[in-house]
Formats: sequence, C-alpha cells, structure tokens
Amino acid sequence: MQRRDFLKRSALASSAIMIPSFMRAFENAPASISGFKKLVVIQLSGGNDGLNTIVPYRNDIYYSSRPQIAIPENKILKATDDLGFNKHLAPLKELYDKGYLSIINNVGYPNPNRSHFRSTDIWHSASDATQYLESGWLGRYIEKVGTQSHLGIEVDENLSMILKGENRNGIATQNAALFRRNMEQPFFSEVLHQKTDTHLSEHNLGYLYKTMLAAKSSARYLHEKTRVYESKQEYPNNPFAKQLKTTAQFINSGVETQVYYVSMGGFDTHVNQQNSQGKLLATYSNAMSSFIKDLEKNDTFKDTLVMTFSEFGRRVAQNASNGTDHGTANQVYIMGGNLKKAGFYNPAANLSQLDDNGDMKFEIDFRTVYATILDRWMDVDDATVLNKEFSKLDFV
Amino acid sequence: MEKSDLKHLYWRLGFGISPAQLEEYKQLSREKVVDLAFAKAQSLQSLSIDLSPFEILREKGVRQKMTTDAFRSLRQKGRQMTRDLNYMWLQQLSLPEAGLREKMTLFWTNVFVCRDNMVWNTLWYNNMLREHALGNLRDFLKAMARQPAMLNYLNTNKNVKSSPNENFVRELMELFTLGIGNYTEKDVQEGARAFTGWSSNRQAQFIIRDRQHDDGEKTFLGKTGNWNGDDIIDIILEQKACARFICKKIYRYFVNPQADEVRLQELTDFFYLHYDIEKLMRYIFNSDWFYDAQHKGVKIKSPIELLAGIQKVVPTVFNKEKQLFYLQKMMGQVLFYPPNVAGWKGDRSWIDANTLVLRMNLASTMLNNMQIEFQEQAAFEDDFEDFYRAKKKRKTHLKVTVNWELFEQNYRNQTVQELKDILIATTLDVDTARFIDELPATDKRNRCVQLMSLPEYQMC
Repeated sequence: MQRRDFLKRSALASSAIMIPSFMRAFENAPASISGFKKLVVIQLSGGNDGLNTIVPYRNDIYYSSRPQIAIPENKILKATDDLGFNKHLAPLKELYDKGYLSIINNVGYPNPNRSHFRSTDIWHSASDATQYLESGWLGRYIEKVGTQSHLGIEVDENLSMILKGENRNGIATQNAALFRRNMEQPFFSEVLHQKTDTHLSEHNLGYLYKTMLAAKSSARYLHEKTRVYESKQEYPNNPFAKQLKTTAQFINSGVETQVYYVSMGGFDTHVNQQNSQGKLLATYSNAMSSFIKDLEKNDTFKDTLVMTFSEFGRRVAQNASNGTDHGTANQVYIMGGNLKKAGFYNPAANLSQLDDNGDMKFEIDFRTVYATILDRWMDVDDATVLNKEFSKLDFV
Repeated sequence: MEKSDLKHLYWRLGFGISPAQLEEYKQLSREKVVDLAFAKAQSLQSLSIDLSPFEILREKGVRQKMTTDAFRSLRQKGRQMTRDLNYMWLQQLSLPEAGLREKMTLFWTNVFVCRDNMVWNTLWYNNMLREHALGNLRDFLKAMARQPAMLNYLNTNKNVKSSPNENFVRELMELFTLGIGNYTEKDVQEGARAFTGWSSNRQAQFIIRDRQHDDGEKTFLGKTGNWNGDDIIDIILEQKACARFICKKIYRYFVNPQADEVRLQELTDFFYLHYDIEKLMRYIFNSDWFYDAQHKGVKIKSPIELLAGIQKVVPTVFNKEKQLFYLQKMMGQVLFYPPNVAGWKGDRSWIDANTLVLRMNLASTMLNNMQIEFQEQAAFEDDFEDFYRAKKKRKTHLKVTVNWELFEQNYRNQTVQELKDILIATTLDVDTARFIDELPATDKRNRCVQLMSLPEYQMC
C-alpha cells in the first residue's frame, strides 16, 4: 500500500505513524537538559543611559558634564555612599535591598561600536568588535544542550540573532496557541507527511523540512504544556510587562525551555531624556517586580537567573538637546535568589579617566559575564559556546 | 538546451524563466542561450529619482540659513525617498526583463556592502554597482572607493594624515577583496595612510584633499613606495587571494552554497588573468559542471529572490508600498538596508520557524488574499510607545492588484499538471508530486499558489 493511500484510509492515523523514521527520531528526541536552570535575558534596546539609572551622586564630573539632566542628590534612592537608584526604580531598589540584584558596573568590550545594529550584533553573537559571527550565544547554547527548538524562546514575533544557532535556531513566540495554529496549517501538515527519508537528508531542502517539523513539534509541546496554566500575579498593563508575563507563564508551567530573550525598546534618548527615561525605568522596574513575585509564588525563582543589558551606554556629557548620545560601557543587572555577590559587584566607572572620545573605558568584558552564567549557572563548558576562554566573575 | 538546465540557468542568472523563454530557448544551444542573456545584460536600466528638493543642501552655509524644522523635514523626505527607491528597485527586479545585470547588481550589494542615510548617495552607489556589475574588478574597486556613500560609510572622509582612520582599508581587505589571514595589521595601517585625504565636497563629488594626504613612503603587502589609494587597490589585485575571494563569493551565490575546492581553483586561475567579471560569468554558465544535478535547486532563495520570483510569475502591484517594505523586514532582507558591513549572511540564515512559515504563506497572502499578521519591526530609535506600536500585530490583507489574466495568458500552453515542472526549480520527489497531482480538482491559479506554498518553492 502506498503511503499516500494509507493516509487516506486511516483518518485517525496519528501523525507519529506517518512521519518517516528518520524524522521521528528527530521529533521526539528528548532534550538532554543539563538541569532545570533557566536564564532570562532582557535587552534595554536603544542604549540605556546607565549614569542616570544608577547615579554617582557624589561625583562632580557627573554633575558638571550634565548641567541640565544630572539627577540631583535629593531625588535619588541612595544605595551606597556614592551610588543611588533613579527615583523611578523603587521596585528595583526593593529587589536590591532583598539581595536579589547584583549590579555589574562598566561592562563593555574593546573598540566599542556606537551603531545600535552592530553593537547589538556584538552582544548577541558574543563576538569581538572586529569579528562577524553568524550565530548568537544563546542559539549556540541550545544547540549544545539539546535538539528541540523550544529550548530557547524569544518572546516576540521575530527571531533575533541571539537565538540563532549554527545549524538550528530557537523560536520566537508570544502566544503558544497562535504559534501552534500557524505551524499546523492543514496544507503544510499534509506536505510534511509526504517526505521520504532520502529527501530529508538533502542539504538545504532537508533543512527546511526539519525546521518545519521541529517548529511544529515545539509548537504542539508548548501549547499543550501551557494551556492550563493561569497566572495569578498582577502585571502592569503595558507590552513589556506582557512579555514578562508570558515568560513567567512558560517558566511556571514547567516547559523545558532554558533560555528566554525579551527586548524592551525606547531607550535611545537623544532628546529631553529626563521624562522619557524616567518613564522607561518605571516601566522596566515595575514589570520586573511583578515578574519576580510571580516566579517566587510558583517557587521557580530559585531556578531562574535574569540578566539585563543594553547594547551600549550613553556618553558622559549631555548633548545640546538635553539628551545623551551613543556611548560605550554600561551596567549589567543580574537578578536571582541565590546570588553570590548581591549589591554592587564592582565600583562605578571612574569618570576622571575617560577615553580619547570622552567616553567610559570598559573594565569587564561582557563575555566574562556570559562565561560566568554558562559555567556557574547553566553548567556547560562556556568555551564551547563562546568559542574562547574567558575568566569568570563571582556573582553567581 | 534541456528544460531543467534552462530553469537552473535562469534561476541563477535571473529570477526564474517564463514559459515563452523556455519554449524559445529549448531549440537553441547552450552557447547561444548564454550569449543572448549577456546581450540583454548590455542594457543598463539605472534607477532614477528626482533629487531637486535636495539641491539646496549644496549651497554654502545652508544649515545657518535653514530653520531646524525645514532641515528636519528635508531629512524626513530623504528617508521616505530611500523607501521609494527600495520599492522602485524591487519592482525593477520583478520585471520580466530583469536578468543577469540586475542579479549581479543584487549580488554586489552584498559584497561591497554600503548603507547611507542620504538618498542621493544611496542612488548613486546602486547605479555604480549596476554599471560595473559585469565590468573589470579593478575599475569597479576604484569607482567603489570613490563613492560618497562609501567615503561616509567606512569613514574614509575622516581619514587624514594627522590621524589615519583604518576603517575603510580594513574592510576593503577583510570583507571586500582578500579575507582575513591574507594581510597584517601593519598592512592595514600602511594602507590607511595611502587613502588619507580621500573625501567628497559639498557637491558630493570625489576629491583628494592634498594637504590631508600622506605622500610618504608606505610598505603595503610587501611593496614599498609612495602609494596612494589606487596603488593599494592595484597591489591587492596582484594577490591571487583576491581572485579567490571574489570567486568564492560568486561560486556560493551562483553555483552552490557549498564551495568546491577544485572548481574554486579553476575559477580563481581563470579570473586572476584579467579580473574580467563578464568573462568569469560566461565561463561558469558555459561549463558542463554548472549543470550538474548536485547544483540544481540547492540554493535557498533570498527574500528578494522569493518576492521577485513570485511577481515574475504572477504580476502583482503593491498598492501600499509600505506593506512591501514590511514584508522585506519580516523576512530579514530590506534592499538598501544591509544589517552591517558584512552584509546579509544568506543561505540557511534566512530560515527560522517564523520566517519559514511566513515565506510559505507568502503566495497565499499576496495572490489569494489570505490575511497576514503584520508586525512591523520596531526601530532602535523608536520611543517606548512607537516601539510597541510598531510591534503590535495587525491582522490585515495585503493591498495588491494581481494580474491573473497575464499569468493565464503566459501559461496558456501549460496544463494544471505541467505547472509544477516550470514553477519548481528542484525535482519534486515522487510522493510530493503525487500529493500535488491528487489535490482536488483545481484551476491553474490555485495550483500556482499551492506550488508556491511548498518548501520546494523556497529553493532555486
């Protein structure tokens, strides 16, 4: 009997029977998960102004470089003798007080690039500034630990480089039901059933079929795992908070996804930044606070680490439009329940020692942060993901 | 010429073959068909837009004379016109007559990658690529290095004797001609000195500012002399690594994404003789090995190839240019907006679950009025509200005018069953072919959309 005829006769044939053996192995391969640790990576897209986020309120250079936009001492939530939080970050300060937050100052890379695109590529791929890689560090990570696409999810509709591997990618979705509907269109499902093993091994065409099958299987898995879960946590009503809510929903319903990526936009504050950045920081910190509470309630915070970065910081001096232009090094925020070193990981940037361009000199290579997370938290050989050895830090 | 050879040739030198071409060319020899394609490629269809609104910027002290608002609105206009240019070129690529010259131009945009905010620079750069697309690499490189867009993009215009800027010469060697490992850091520094003073004036014409030029002695790739920028290009061309670098790009784009060492050596030896691009392309298209089964249908179409290919079969007009722009964004390739100086990565990097589903739905959305969930990609420069407004999904239809009548006219001699032989570049496997043949009785239009929804249609 021809395969096609068989399909027609057995209306109830499960898809597993119809899929050639080669693909069945692929579809059902269990992910060899290295533990149950999760990582959520958040990008403050556009380049957050770190100096007005964590404010060096005793620094004269800070105040003289920013006559119109520096934040006065009395409007700061003081954390140490010289550093304080922007007042819109009260929820973040609470996390700091609880020991859930580690702030790593002065993170960057040599020969900093001031283009949003290029610098984002560098952060996503974990490359040198002079190197053009084709894959992202989270993409390479999920390739290393398993075979399923849903091991890495971007909570969005388009997949960024950070989750692209060398041979396989993570997936982008904000809605598991919708994702499944898209992947299970009847025509595509029928087409997928037609493939013989020989064609699936074909170089590029096989790659397309494998991508479809993997995505379909991930879509079904995610939808079935998450459909019954309902979050009881209140979140603010904005799109970023919604992305985090979706992320928490995935985590709390026990899906085996290990890395998540969320991008929050709006931080490119060239003009009148005080108001706009204030709002952004409030949005960020309120949503983070709900997110962490949600995880705590479900006892998943202990297994989750959150890293927030920006593709660059902004210049020390303000510009003529009461804003700031693209700069270099910046802070990275790490959140977790079991931090080894909570609070400020290292001292703030030394504003009296800037580079020729008047920008901050980085002190910590961003890839040492990645290496630390991979090695100490995700428990994989970081050098095989980052293609290079990096020293480790001590925050986790 | 064999039908399958013709399909292969025309997908590589253009954006697919029409039934009329197939009918005509199958009588002819390969040499004749290739000759015809090159004869057509002689004509040059430059892009053209009205740049008069920007004339004012050429006047001296214009920034003082203009109000900030006027200047801003001019910039806004420039940005809009770059989008118009995007639409214009994509339409041109989708025309029946778009062939080798346009395909080569598209290829070179991703070798000598450049991006500029000023629409006139973008326009001139693109027309320069088209002009030299089949010319001599030496002239091409020298013209490229002089383009205002390139002088801006890789900071040559900031490269002065007192403080050399290495950006251009580094990328010239790493990404445009030699590849990493074929030069040293010292060559980068010495090469940068040779390009000092290269700049453009207010009229956006190329000039060399003598006072900024370092006319001292430089040692570059082992040769010592008072080199200028042209000398540097000549010395680069003396390196066989340069011929190999370009041949590898051409092989991976026109023949097979997986390079073959033997063929690469053969092409390199040939190209190194004269750096004549047209001769190289003729050599490839006339080679027996180019038509080997292993090369047919193994390329994943770029989003532009996919869009142009569909429109070539079924002529389509986008009534909202913006929608065509978003489609490019969602699929990851927007003409005139390369992601960085290394260009689009191509091949498998076009594909992830999200883009693949979009690509397989593309024909239904364009031709069958299927709804599409549109999500603009937000820009870095957007504020929070705009960032997420852009990201907000809208279920909508594409506003397109589909010329099915012309399709039916062009494909009048094909039966419904025969459509797959012409529309699909690869050979369908037995099961898939049967599946298609057994689909419920359907007309040519529907069959066309069904075929374009197969994973096989993603290949060329």
